[in-house]
Amino acid sequence: MDEFCRKLAQILEVDEVKPDDALEDFEEWDSLSALTVIAMAGCQYGVPLRATELKKLATPRHVYDFILRRKGMAP
Amino acid sequence: MNFSFSHRRISGVLAVVPANERSFVDEMSNFNFPPARSLKLKQVMGYDKHRIVEGPVCASDLGCFALEYAFGHGFVGRNQIDALLVVTQSPDYFMPPTSSVIQGRLGLKQDLFCMDINQGCAGFLIGLLEAFLLLGQDSVSKVALLNVDVLSRKVSPRDRNSYPLIGDAASLTLVERSEDPTPIHANLKMDGAAREALMIPAGGFRLPSTPETAVLEDDGENNLRAKDHLRMDGSAIFNFVQVEVPPLVEDLLRTAGASAGDVDYFLFHQPNRFMLQKLAERMQVPYEKMPSNVVEHYGNSSGVTIPLVIAHNLRERLLRDSVRACLAGFGVGLTWSSMLLRLGPLEFCELIEFP
Repeated sequence: MDEFCRKLAQILEVDEVKPDDALEDFEEWDSLSALTVIAMAGCQYGVPLRATELKKLATPRHVYDFILRRKGMAP
Repeated sequence: MNFSFSHRRISGVLAVVPANERSFVDEMSNFNFPPARSLKLKQVMGYDKHRIVEGPVCASDLGCFALEYAFGHGFVGRNQIDALLVVTQSPDYFMPPTSSVIQGRLGLKQDLFCMDINQGCAGFLIGLLEAFLLLGQDSVSKVALLNVDVLSRKVSPRDRNSYPLIGDAASLTLVERSEDPTPIHANLKMDGAAREALMIPAGGFRLPSTPETAVLEDDGENNLRAKDHLRMDGSAIFNFVQVEVPPLVEDLLRTAGASAGDVDYFLFHQPNRFMLQKLAERMQVPYEKMPSNVVEHYGNSSGVTIPLVIAHNLRERLLRDSVRACLAGFGVGLTWSSMLLRLGPLEFCELIEFP
Protein backbone atom coordinates (compact mmCIF):
# COMPACT_ATOMS: atom_id res chain seq x y z
CA MET A 1 0.00 0.00 0.00
CA ASP A 2 2.82 2.42 0.92
CA GLU A 3 4.60 1.64 -2.31
CA PHE A 4 1.36 2.07 -4.25
CA CYS A 5 0.74 5.47 -2.65
CA ARG A 6 4.31 6.56 -3.44
CA LYS A 7 3.79 5.73 -7.12
CA LEU A 8 0.45 7.48 -7.09
CA ALA A 9 2.08 10.58 -5.62
CA GLN A 10 4.53 10.60 -8.55
CA ILE A 11 1.70 10.30 -11.05
CA LEU A 12 -0.27 13.06 -9.34
CA GLU A 13 2.86 15.21 -8.97
CA VAL A 14 2.40 15.75 -5.23
CA ASP A 15 4.67 15.04 -2.25
CA GLU A 16 2.38 12.59 -0.55
CA VAL A 17 -0.80 10.61 -1.15
CA LYS A 18 -2.59 8.97 1.80
CA PRO A 19 -4.63 5.77 1.41
CA ASP A 20 -7.92 7.51 2.20
CA ASP A 21 -7.43 10.75 0.28
CA ALA A 22 -10.16 11.48 -2.23
CA LEU A 23 -8.67 11.09 -5.70
CA GLU A 24 -11.07 13.68 -7.07
CA ASP A 25 -9.50 16.33 -4.87
CA PHE A 26 -6.18 16.14 -6.69
CA GLU A 27 -5.77 18.73 -9.38
CA GLU A 28 -3.84 16.29 -11.59
CA TRP A 29 -6.42 13.48 -11.35
CA ASP A 30 -7.71 13.34 -14.93
CA SER A 31 -7.99 10.93 -17.84
CA LEU A 32 -4.23 11.00 -18.40
CA SER A 33 -3.25 10.20 -14.82
CA ALA A 34 -6.02 7.58 -14.84
CA LEU A 35 -4.41 5.93 -17.88
CA THR A 36 -1.06 5.99 -16.11
CA VAL A 37 -2.66 4.18 -13.15
CA ILE A 38 -4.24 1.68 -15.57
CA ALA A 39 -0.80 1.13 -17.10
CA MET A 40 0.68 0.62 -13.64
CA ALA A 41 -2.04 -1.92 -12.77
CA GLY A 42 -1.38 -3.73 -16.04
CA CYS A 43 2.40 -3.62 -16.14
CA GLN A 44 3.34 -3.92 -12.47
CA TYR A 45 0.45 -5.96 -11.09
CA GLY A 46 -0.60 -7.79 -14.27
CA VAL A 47 -4.19 -6.67 -13.76
CA PRO A 48 -6.36 -5.20 -16.51
CA LEU A 49 -8.25 -2.23 -15.08
CA ARG A 50 -10.84 -0.33 -17.11
CA ALA A 51 -11.29 3.44 -17.01
CA THR A 52 -14.98 2.97 -16.14
CA GLU A 53 -14.04 0.75 -13.18
CA LEU A 54 -11.36 3.15 -12.00
CA LYS A 55 -13.80 6.04 -12.08
CA LYS A 56 -15.92 4.31 -9.44
CA LEU A 57 -12.98 3.95 -7.04
CA ALA A 58 -12.80 6.99 -4.78
CA THR A 59 -9.52 6.59 -2.89
CA PRO A 60 -6.07 5.02 -3.33
CA ARG A 61 -7.16 2.29 -0.89
CA HIS A 62 -10.17 1.43 -3.05
CA VAL A 63 -7.98 1.23 -6.15
CA TYR A 64 -5.35 -0.87 -4.43
CA ASP A 65 -7.89 -3.28 -2.96
CA PHE A 66 -9.60 -3.60 -6.34
CA ILE A 67 -6.29 -4.52 -7.99
CA LEU A 68 -5.47 -7.08 -5.30
CA ARG A 69 -8.95 -8.60 -5.50
CA ARG A 70 -8.69 -8.96 -9.24
CA LYS A 71 -5.29 -10.50 -8.86
CA GLY A 72 -6.85 -13.03 -6.47
CA MET A 73 -4.95 -11.69 -3.45
CA ALA A 74 -7.98 -10.26 -1.66
CA PRO A 75 -7.26 -8.41 1.57
CA MET B 1 -4.79 -19.51 -35.49
CA ASN B 2 -1.41 -20.21 -37.03
CA PHE B 3 -0.14 -19.76 -40.58
CA SER B 4 3.10 -20.68 -42.22
CA PHE B 5 4.55 -19.92 -45.63
CA SER B 6 7.81 -20.27 -47.44
CA HIS B 7 9.27 -18.99 -50.72
CA ARG B 8 7.66 -15.59 -50.20
CA ARG B 9 9.29 -12.21 -49.67
CA ILE B 10 8.69 -8.52 -49.37
CA SER B 11 10.74 -7.03 -52.18
CA GLY B 12 10.15 -3.34 -51.53
CA VAL B 13 8.44 -0.76 -49.35
CA LEU B 14 7.36 2.72 -50.36
CA ALA B 15 5.68 4.93 -47.76
CA VAL B 16 3.81 8.14 -48.56
CA VAL B 17 2.91 10.85 -46.05
CA PRO B 18 1.06 14.10 -46.79
CA ALA B 19 3.37 17.14 -46.89
CA ASN B 20 0.98 18.94 -44.55
CA GLU B 21 2.54 18.72 -41.08
CA ARG B 22 0.70 19.82 -37.95
CA SER B 23 2.05 20.14 -34.47
CA PHE B 24 0.46 19.20 -31.16
CA VAL B 25 1.41 22.50 -29.56
CA ASP B 26 -0.31 24.50 -32.30
CA GLU B 27 -3.47 22.44 -31.99
CA MET B 28 -3.67 22.41 -28.20
CA SER B 29 -6.06 25.36 -28.09
CA ASN B 30 -8.72 23.23 -29.84
CA PHE B 31 -8.89 20.98 -26.82
CA ASN B 32 -11.00 21.56 -23.75
CA PHE B 33 -8.11 20.95 -21.36
CA PRO B 34 -5.69 23.18 -19.44
CA PRO B 35 -2.53 23.63 -21.58
CA ALA B 36 -0.32 22.24 -18.81
CA ARG B 37 -2.24 18.95 -18.84
CA SER B 38 -2.10 18.75 -22.61
CA LEU B 39 1.66 19.28 -22.49
CA LYS B 40 1.88 16.49 -19.96
CA LEU B 41 -0.08 14.25 -22.32
CA LYS B 42 2.31 15.18 -25.13
CA GLN B 43 5.27 14.21 -22.97
CA VAL B 44 3.82 10.92 -21.70
CA MET B 45 2.37 9.68 -24.99
CA GLY B 46 5.12 11.00 -27.22
CA TYR B 47 2.96 13.26 -29.35
CA ASP B 48 4.59 16.01 -31.37
CA LYS B 49 3.95 16.31 -35.08
CA HIS B 50 1.54 14.50 -37.35
CA ARG B 51 0.82 14.45 -41.05
CA ILE B 52 -2.72 14.88 -42.23
CA VAL B 53 -4.23 15.51 -45.64
CA GLU B 54 -5.33 19.01 -46.55
CA GLY B 55 -8.79 19.16 -48.06
CA PRO B 56 -10.77 16.32 -49.60
CA VAL B 57 -7.86 14.00 -50.37
CA CYS B 58 -9.03 10.40 -50.71
CA ALA B 59 -7.48 6.96 -50.28
CA SER B 60 -7.19 6.45 -54.03
CA ASP B 61 -5.32 9.78 -54.41
CA LEU B 62 -2.56 8.62 -52.07
CA GLY B 63 -2.67 5.10 -53.52
CA CYS B 64 -2.35 6.27 -57.14
CA PHE B 65 0.47 8.60 -56.12
CA ALA B 66 2.39 5.71 -54.57
CA LEU B 67 1.90 3.41 -57.55
CA GLU B 68 2.75 6.10 -60.13
CA TYR B 69 5.94 6.85 -58.20
CA ALA B 70 6.83 3.15 -58.17
CA PHE B 71 6.17 2.80 -61.92
CA GLY B 72 8.05 6.03 -62.68
CA HIS B 73 11.11 4.97 -60.70
CA GLY B 74 11.20 1.47 -62.16
CA PHE B 75 10.41 -0.27 -58.86
CA VAL B 76 7.86 -2.39 -60.69
CA GLY B 77 6.39 -2.45 -64.18
CA ARG B 78 2.83 -1.27 -64.69
CA ASN B 79 1.86 -4.66 -66.17
CA GLN B 80 3.83 -6.78 -63.73
CA ILE B 81 1.32 -6.50 -60.91
CA ASP B 82 -1.13 -9.42 -60.82
CA ALA B 83 -3.02 -8.47 -57.68
CA LEU B 84 -3.83 -5.15 -56.06
CA LEU B 85 -4.85 -5.41 -52.43
CA VAL B 86 -6.09 -2.19 -50.88
CA VAL B 87 -6.37 -2.25 -47.11
CA THR B 88 -8.33 0.74 -45.91
CA GLN B 89 -11.04 1.89 -43.52
CA SER B 90 -11.51 5.11 -45.45
CA PRO B 91 -12.57 4.00 -48.94
CA ASP B 92 -13.46 6.54 -51.63
CA TYR B 93 -16.95 5.00 -51.84
CA PHE B 94 -19.03 2.23 -50.28
CA MET B 95 -19.04 0.88 -53.83
CA PRO B 96 -17.09 0.33 -56.04
CA PRO B 97 -13.99 -0.91 -54.18
CA THR B 98 -11.10 1.56 -53.93
CA SER B 99 -8.87 -1.06 -55.59
CA SER B 100 -11.13 -0.86 -58.66
CA VAL B 101 -10.99 2.94 -58.54
CA ILE B 102 -7.19 2.79 -58.55
CA GLN B 103 -7.08 0.15 -61.30
CA GLY B 104 -9.30 2.36 -63.45
CA ARG B 105 -7.50 5.63 -62.72
CA LEU B 106 -4.12 4.11 -63.56
CA GLY B 107 -5.33 2.08 -66.53
CA LEU B 108 -3.99 -1.18 -65.11
CA LYS B 109 -4.51 -4.45 -66.98
CA GLN B 110 -7.72 -6.48 -66.69
CA ASP B 111 -5.86 -9.61 -65.58
CA LEU B 112 -5.62 -8.09 -62.14
CA PHE B 113 -7.09 -9.37 -58.91
CA CYS B 114 -8.45 -6.26 -57.19
CA MET B 115 -9.62 -6.57 -53.62
CA ASP B 116 -10.39 -4.19 -50.77
CA ILE B 117 -9.83 -5.33 -47.22
CA ASN B 118 -11.54 -3.41 -44.43
CA GLN B 119 -8.89 -3.60 -41.72
CA GLY B 120 -7.07 -1.11 -39.56
CA CYS B 121 -4.09 -1.37 -37.26
CA ALA B 122 -3.55 -5.07 -38.04
CA GLY B 123 -4.04 -4.30 -41.74
CA PHE B 124 -0.42 -4.69 -42.75
CA LEU B 125 -0.34 -8.24 -41.37
CA ILE B 126 -3.75 -9.14 -42.83
CA GLY B 127 -2.66 -7.75 -46.20
CA LEU B 128 0.59 -9.74 -46.12
CA LEU B 129 -1.30 -12.95 -45.29
CA GLU B 130 -3.63 -12.39 -48.26
CA ALA B 131 -0.71 -11.56 -50.53
CA PHE B 132 1.13 -14.74 -49.50
CA LEU B 133 -2.01 -16.80 -50.16
CA LEU B 134 -2.51 -15.29 -53.62
CA LEU B 135 1.10 -16.08 -54.51
CA GLY B 136 0.15 -19.77 -54.28
CA GLN B 137 -1.41 -19.32 -57.72
CA ASP B 138 0.77 -19.70 -60.84
CA SER B 139 -0.93 -16.68 -62.39
CA VAL B 140 0.13 -14.40 -59.55
CA SER B 141 3.80 -13.51 -59.32
CA LYS B 142 3.69 -9.98 -57.90
CA VAL B 143 1.19 -8.56 -55.43
CA ALA B 144 0.91 -4.83 -54.77
CA LEU B 145 -0.22 -4.39 -51.18
CA LEU B 146 -1.50 -0.89 -50.67
CA ASN B 147 -2.25 0.18 -47.11
CA VAL B 148 -3.90 3.58 -47.02
CA ASP B 149 -6.00 5.63 -44.65
CA VAL B 150 -7.15 9.24 -44.46
CA LEU B 151 -8.93 8.89 -41.15
CA SER B 152 -8.06 12.42 -40.01
CA ARG B 153 -11.14 13.37 -41.99
CA LYS B 154 -13.22 11.29 -39.56
CA VAL B 155 -11.66 12.48 -36.30
CA SER B 156 -13.02 15.44 -34.38
CA PRO B 157 -10.35 18.18 -34.06
CA ARG B 158 -11.74 18.78 -30.56
CA ASP B 159 -11.18 15.19 -29.44
CA ARG B 160 -7.93 15.10 -27.49
CA ASN B 161 -8.36 11.36 -27.14
CA SER B 162 -7.75 10.70 -30.85
CA TYR B 163 -6.91 13.85 -32.80
CA PRO B 164 -3.29 14.44 -31.62
CA LEU B 165 -2.25 10.96 -32.69
CA ILE B 166 -4.11 10.52 -35.97
CA GLY B 167 -2.04 10.45 -39.12
CA ASP B 168 -2.85 9.92 -42.79
CA ALA B 169 -0.53 7.90 -45.00
CA ALA B 170 -0.22 5.22 -47.65
CA SER B 171 2.29 2.50 -48.33
CA LEU B 172 3.01 0.26 -51.26
CA THR B 173 4.55 -3.06 -50.33
CA LEU B 174 5.58 -5.34 -53.14
CA VAL B 175 5.22 -9.02 -52.30
CA GLU B 176 6.51 -11.83 -54.47
CA ARG B 177 7.84 -15.37 -54.57
CA SER B 178 11.42 -16.08 -53.60
CA GLU B 179 13.96 -18.91 -53.61
CA ASP B 180 14.23 -18.78 -49.84
CA PRO B 181 12.80 -21.91 -48.17
CA THR B 182 13.01 -20.35 -44.67
CA PRO B 183 9.56 -20.61 -43.11
CA ILE B 184 7.56 -17.48 -42.40
CA HIS B 185 5.37 -17.98 -39.35
CA ALA B 186 2.31 -15.95 -38.50
CA ASN B 187 -0.62 -16.05 -36.15
CA LEU B 188 -3.87 -14.20 -35.80
CA LYS B 189 -6.76 -13.75 -33.40
CA MET B 190 -9.97 -11.78 -33.69
CA ASP B 191 -12.62 -10.74 -31.19
CA GLY B 192 -15.71 -9.16 -32.68
CA ALA B 193 -17.36 -9.12 -29.25
CA ALA B 194 -15.17 -6.11 -28.43
CA ARG B 195 -15.86 -4.41 -31.79
CA GLU B 196 -17.15 -1.18 -30.26
CA ALA B 197 -13.84 -0.26 -28.60
CA LEU B 198 -12.77 1.37 -31.88
CA MET B 199 -15.44 2.49 -34.28
CA ILE B 200 -17.10 5.18 -36.35
CA PRO B 201 -20.68 4.78 -35.13
CA ALA B 202 -22.51 6.66 -37.90
CA GLY B 203 -22.27 6.86 -41.67
CA GLY B 204 -22.88 3.22 -42.56
CA PHE B 205 -26.20 1.48 -43.15
CA ARG B 206 -26.83 0.80 -39.43
CA LEU B 207 -26.83 4.47 -38.53
CA PRO B 208 -26.79 6.68 -41.62
CA SER B 209 -25.32 10.18 -41.27
CA THR B 210 -27.91 12.85 -40.50
CA PRO B 211 -27.69 16.36 -39.05
CA GLU B 212 -28.10 14.71 -35.61
CA THR B 213 -25.10 12.40 -36.07
CA ALA B 214 -22.98 15.47 -36.85
CA VAL B 215 -23.70 17.15 -33.51
CA LEU B 216 -20.65 17.36 -31.24
CA GLU B 217 -21.17 15.76 -27.84
CA ASP B 218 -19.00 15.78 -24.72
CA ASP B 219 -17.85 12.27 -23.84
CA GLY B 220 -17.76 13.15 -20.15
CA GLU B 221 -13.98 13.68 -20.32
CA ASN B 222 -14.05 17.07 -22.08
CA ASN B 223 -13.58 15.56 -25.52
CA LEU B 224 -16.06 16.76 -28.13
CA ARG B 225 -16.99 14.41 -30.93
CA ALA B 226 -20.00 13.43 -33.04
CA LYS B 227 -21.35 10.01 -33.98
CA ASP B 228 -19.90 10.64 -37.44
CA HIS B 229 -16.44 10.71 -35.86
CA LEU B 230 -14.00 7.98 -34.98
CA ARG B 231 -14.10 7.08 -31.32
CA MET B 232 -11.71 5.01 -29.30
CA ASP B 233 -12.04 3.57 -25.83
CA GLY B 234 -8.44 4.29 -24.90
CA SER B 235 -8.23 2.27 -21.69
CA ALA B 236 -9.97 -0.75 -23.25
CA ILE B 237 -7.52 -0.68 -26.16
CA PHE B 238 -4.56 -0.22 -23.84
CA ASN B 239 -5.59 -3.23 -21.75
CA PHE B 240 -6.33 -5.30 -24.83
CA VAL B 241 -2.87 -4.65 -26.22
CA GLN B 242 -1.02 -5.29 -22.95
CA VAL B 243 -2.98 -8.47 -22.24
CA GLU B 244 -3.20 -10.05 -25.69
CA VAL B 245 -0.13 -9.06 -27.67
CA PRO B 246 2.71 -10.48 -25.48
CA PRO B 247 1.26 -14.04 -25.40
CA LEU B 248 0.51 -13.85 -29.13
CA VAL B 249 4.15 -13.05 -29.87
CA GLU B 250 5.39 -15.67 -27.38
CA ASP B 251 3.26 -18.29 -29.15
CA LEU B 252 4.62 -17.19 -32.50
CA LEU B 253 8.22 -17.48 -31.36
CA ARG B 254 7.56 -20.86 -29.75
CA THR B 255 5.96 -22.18 -32.95
CA ALA B 256 8.92 -20.91 -34.93
CA GLY B 257 11.38 -22.42 -32.45
CA ALA B 258 12.89 -18.99 -31.92
CA SER B 259 13.51 -16.81 -28.90
CA ALA B 260 13.14 -13.07 -28.46
CA GLY B 261 16.93 -12.82 -28.57
CA ASP B 262 16.96 -14.20 -32.14
CA VAL B 263 14.84 -11.31 -33.34
CA ASP B 264 16.69 -8.24 -34.62
CA TYR B 265 13.69 -5.92 -34.62
CA PHE B 266 10.17 -5.93 -33.26
CA LEU B 267 8.39 -3.81 -35.85
CA PHE B 268 5.01 -3.24 -34.30
CA HIS B 269 2.02 -1.13 -35.15
CA GLN B 270 2.52 2.37 -33.70
CA PRO B 271 -0.41 3.50 -31.55
CA ASN B 272 1.74 5.85 -29.44
CA ARG B 273 5.15 5.72 -27.77
CA PHE B 274 3.72 5.08 -24.30
CA MET B 275 1.88 1.91 -25.31
CA LEU B 276 4.87 0.53 -27.20
CA GLN B 277 7.28 1.18 -24.36
CA LYS B 278 4.94 -0.54 -21.91
CA LEU B 279 4.73 -3.44 -24.34
CA ALA B 280 8.51 -3.61 -24.64
CA GLU B 281 8.88 -3.59 -20.84
CA ARG B 282 6.33 -6.33 -20.46
CA MET B 283 7.99 -8.45 -23.15
CA GLN B 284 11.46 -7.65 -21.79
CA VAL B 285 12.58 -6.37 -25.16
CA PRO B 286 15.08 -3.48 -25.19
CA TYR B 287 13.58 -0.22 -26.50
CA GLU B 288 16.12 -0.02 -29.32
CA LYS B 289 14.81 -3.28 -30.75
CA MET B 290 11.26 -1.96 -30.79
CA PRO B 291 11.18 1.45 -32.49
CA SER B 292 8.34 3.64 -31.23
CA ASN B 293 9.02 6.94 -33.02
CA VAL B 294 6.43 6.94 -35.79
CA VAL B 295 3.63 8.74 -33.93
CA GLU B 296 5.84 11.68 -32.89
CA HIS B 297 6.89 12.28 -36.51
CA TYR B 298 3.87 11.31 -38.58
CA GLY B 299 0.98 10.22 -36.35
CA ASN B 300 -0.77 6.88 -36.22
CA SER B 301 -1.94 5.93 -39.71
CA SER B 302 -3.37 2.51 -38.73
CA GLY B 303 -2.24 -0.13 -41.26
CA VAL B 304 0.55 2.06 -42.66
CA THR B 305 2.55 2.40 -39.45
CA ILE B 306 4.65 -0.76 -39.92
CA PRO B 307 5.82 0.28 -43.42
CA LEU B 308 6.51 3.73 -41.90
CA VAL B 309 8.53 2.31 -39.03
CA ILE B 310 10.53 0.34 -41.61
CA ALA B 311 11.10 3.25 -44.00
CA HIS B 312 11.86 5.78 -41.26
CA ASN B 313 14.25 3.67 -39.19
CA LEU B 314 15.71 0.88 -41.29
CA ARG B 315 15.92 2.18 -44.84
CA GLU B 316 19.71 2.16 -45.27
CA ARG B 317 20.17 -1.15 -43.56
CA LEU B 318 17.43 -2.97 -45.44
CA LEU B 319 18.64 -1.80 -48.83
CA ARG B 320 21.88 -3.73 -48.32
CA ASP B 321 21.16 -6.24 -45.58
CA SER B 322 18.50 -8.44 -44.10
CA VAL B 323 17.12 -8.65 -40.57
CA ARG B 324 15.00 -11.13 -38.69
CA ALA B 325 11.87 -9.16 -37.95
CA CYS B 326 8.88 -9.81 -35.78
CA LEU B 327 5.89 -7.79 -36.95
CA ALA B 328 2.71 -7.25 -34.94
CA GLY B 329 -0.48 -5.35 -35.64
CA PHE B 330 -3.41 -4.88 -33.27
CA GLY B 331 -6.55 -2.81 -33.28
CA VAL B 332 -9.96 -2.44 -34.86
CA GLY B 333 -12.12 -5.54 -34.97
CA LEU B 334 -10.58 -6.29 -32.57
CA THR B 335 -7.81 -8.02 -34.49
CA TRP B 336 -4.30 -8.94 -33.43
CA SER B 337 -1.67 -10.69 -35.48
CA SER B 338 2.07 -11.28 -35.51
CA MET B 339 4.57 -12.58 -38.03
CA LEU B 340 8.20 -13.67 -37.97
CA LEU B 341 10.06 -13.28 -41.24
CA ARG B 342 13.36 -12.35 -42.80
CA LEU B 343 13.10 -8.82 -44.12
CA GLY B 344 15.47 -7.51 -46.79
CA PRO B 345 17.56 -6.87 -48.67
CA LEU B 346 14.88 -4.73 -50.29
CA GLU B 347 14.99 -3.53 -53.88
CA PHE B 348 13.48 -0.23 -52.81
CA CYS B 349 12.67 1.41 -49.50
CA GLU B 350 11.58 5.03 -49.55
CA LEU B 351 9.54 7.57 -47.67
CA ILE B 352 8.09 10.31 -49.87
CA GLU B 353 5.67 13.21 -49.51
CA PHE B 354 2.32 13.69 -51.14
CA PRO B 355 2.22 17.37 -52.14
